[in-house]
Amino acid sequence: MNRFLDSDFFHDFLRAPVALISFCVVLILILSAVFAQFIAPTNPFDPASLELMNGFTPPLEANMFTGEVFLLGTDDQGRDLFSAILYGLRISLFVGLMAVTLAMVLGVMLGLIAGYVGGWLDNLIMRLADIQMTFPSILIAMLIFGVARGLLPPELRYEMAITVLIISIGLSEWVPFARTVRGSTMVEKEKEYIAAARLIGLNRWQIMIRHILPNVLGPVLVIATITFALAIIAEATLSFLGVGAPRTEPSLGTLIRVGQDYLFSGEWWILLFPALTLLALALAVNLLGDWLRDTLNPRLK
Amino acid sequence: MSFVVAKNLTRNYDLSDPLIVRALTMRPKRILTAVDDVNFSIEKGTTYALVGESGSGKSTIAKMAVGLLKPSVGTLIVDGKNLNDPALAREDQLALRRRIQMVFQSPYASLNPRWRVGDIIAEPIKAFCLIDGIKAQSMRVSELLEQVGLAPSDATKYPHEFSGGQRQRISIARALSSQPEVIVCDEPTSALDVSVQAQVLNLLKALQKEYALTYLFITHDLAVVSTMANKIGVLNKGRLVEEQSPAGLFSRPQQDYTKMLLNAAPSINFD
Repeated sequence: MNRFLDSDFFHDFLRAPVALISFCVVLILILSAVFAQFIAPTNPFDPASLELMNGFTPPLEANMFTGEVFLLGTDDQGRDLFSAILYGLRISLFVGLMAVTLAMVLGVMLGLIAGYVGGWLDNLIMRLADIQMTFPSILIAMLIFGVARGLLPPELRYEMAITVLIISIGLSEWVPFARTVRGSTMVEKEKEYIAAARLIGLNRWQIMIRHILPNVLGPVLVIATITFALAIIAEATLSFLGVGAPRTEPSLGTLIRVGQDYLFSGEWWILLFPALTLLALALAVNLLGDWLRDTLNPRLK
Repeated sequence: MSFVVAKNLTRNYDLSDPLIVRALTMRPKRILTAVDDVNFSIEKGTTYALVGESGSGKSTIAKMAVGLLKPSVGTLIVDGKNLNDPALAREDQLALRRRIQMVFQSPYASLNPRWRVGDIIAEPIKAFCLIDGIKAQSMRVSELLEQVGLAPSDATKYPHEFSGGQRQRISIARALSSQPEVIVCDEPTSALDVSVQAQVLNLLKALQKEYALTYLFITHDLAVVSTMANKIGVLNKGRLVEEQSPAGLFSRPQQDYTKMLLNAAPSINFD
């Protein structure tokens, strides 16, 4: 720990106001999502606690029927928006994190194999990546989502919605990981420490995992941060398009979709607050990722 | 029979264009012969030096000698066993590999930067299952570190905390850890400055005396050769053009190419 506090990395971090602020924003959002059930005044996922009479209450105004006051108002079904945002944030963060993990594991493994083994396997994996790059990733996610929905029995669709969401976003974001890892693997495998490992009879898997992997992970963490922001936006987009998280368990994207129906009838808060939260989260994660990339790049020092 | 014998060692590289390009342009295959019919033998406990310019095939021979590269033609025989015998079982191959280790040219690229020095040195011990038990293994690592002139406490450090000469010592300790009989040194001092070169060479010499090690020494530096070698082979464009003792080579070079090499070497007179 002391070594970390003394490092250049930590020193740079303290002197970069953008990174510091982004980090604080991300930290606050993550903490409020994790502790949502202690912070949120109501449980928005519990249909029994919803009172339809509370619908469309503007922020900080008393409801005309029940007289209840809500910090950020309520949506059409009388759901407290502040609670819904906290719980929705939790879904968005969870889906983003799991999707990035999936994309990272898949991309790093494929990149390692392509870079180290080479030959036709390298060609196959990289051409697959090229093909995938010609489609927008949200389109691929929708395709996977649609296929998975079609294969699942109807009674499982609601339960599996989040899992399917994670898989479809994860599978559409592996390419940048694979490309980066392949490049650095090809550099590392020519170095003499790999020859030394081959000399003592290690097989390719042992060399890939034990020797090359630790040396190619640096840039991966940067890509993971940036992809995390992309995954959160992808999740919101899918949910906005109505193919993501269901309305009974809304994520930020679902809330925005609900909100946009009422935007022009004067209920602006249903759209605005979830949208601002999403904006803050995606922007902060992105800025943090950009800062990480610049800081860890020795050429920019 | 000598301990290490290279028989008709040849290595070709296929540099030709893909088949379809060749068919269209009607050009023949392009084959580069990096090593061409090289024969030499090394007695146990002695040093054989291969000298030559860059591109003469020295490093290719080094790679074939440790089994990283298969010869196109010819064989390498260590203690009567053919290194590239396809009939050799995997255990026998591993056992043979244990007896031949290598010290690499670049002390900066030959140690994994993410591994602690202790783990680097212990890796061959674990891979060949030489010593059981973590405690006994770390004892052996300390012993090896002391043998190459480093402190046992250095085992917990990372390679970047060491100088070039110290890293080369770590590399030597790693090579020694599998208790080899043959060590192939591929220009082990060419990346070091002159004062450190002498220290590393002296260490190699002392280790040779202690363990009766057989060295195949690849270098372009004739000063290094004169202090280390018992026998010198001169390589030119993949062919072994001359083989002599150091004294003979410096006083009566037989080939024009050797004379050119000797003349090209910088000499310092202290008179």
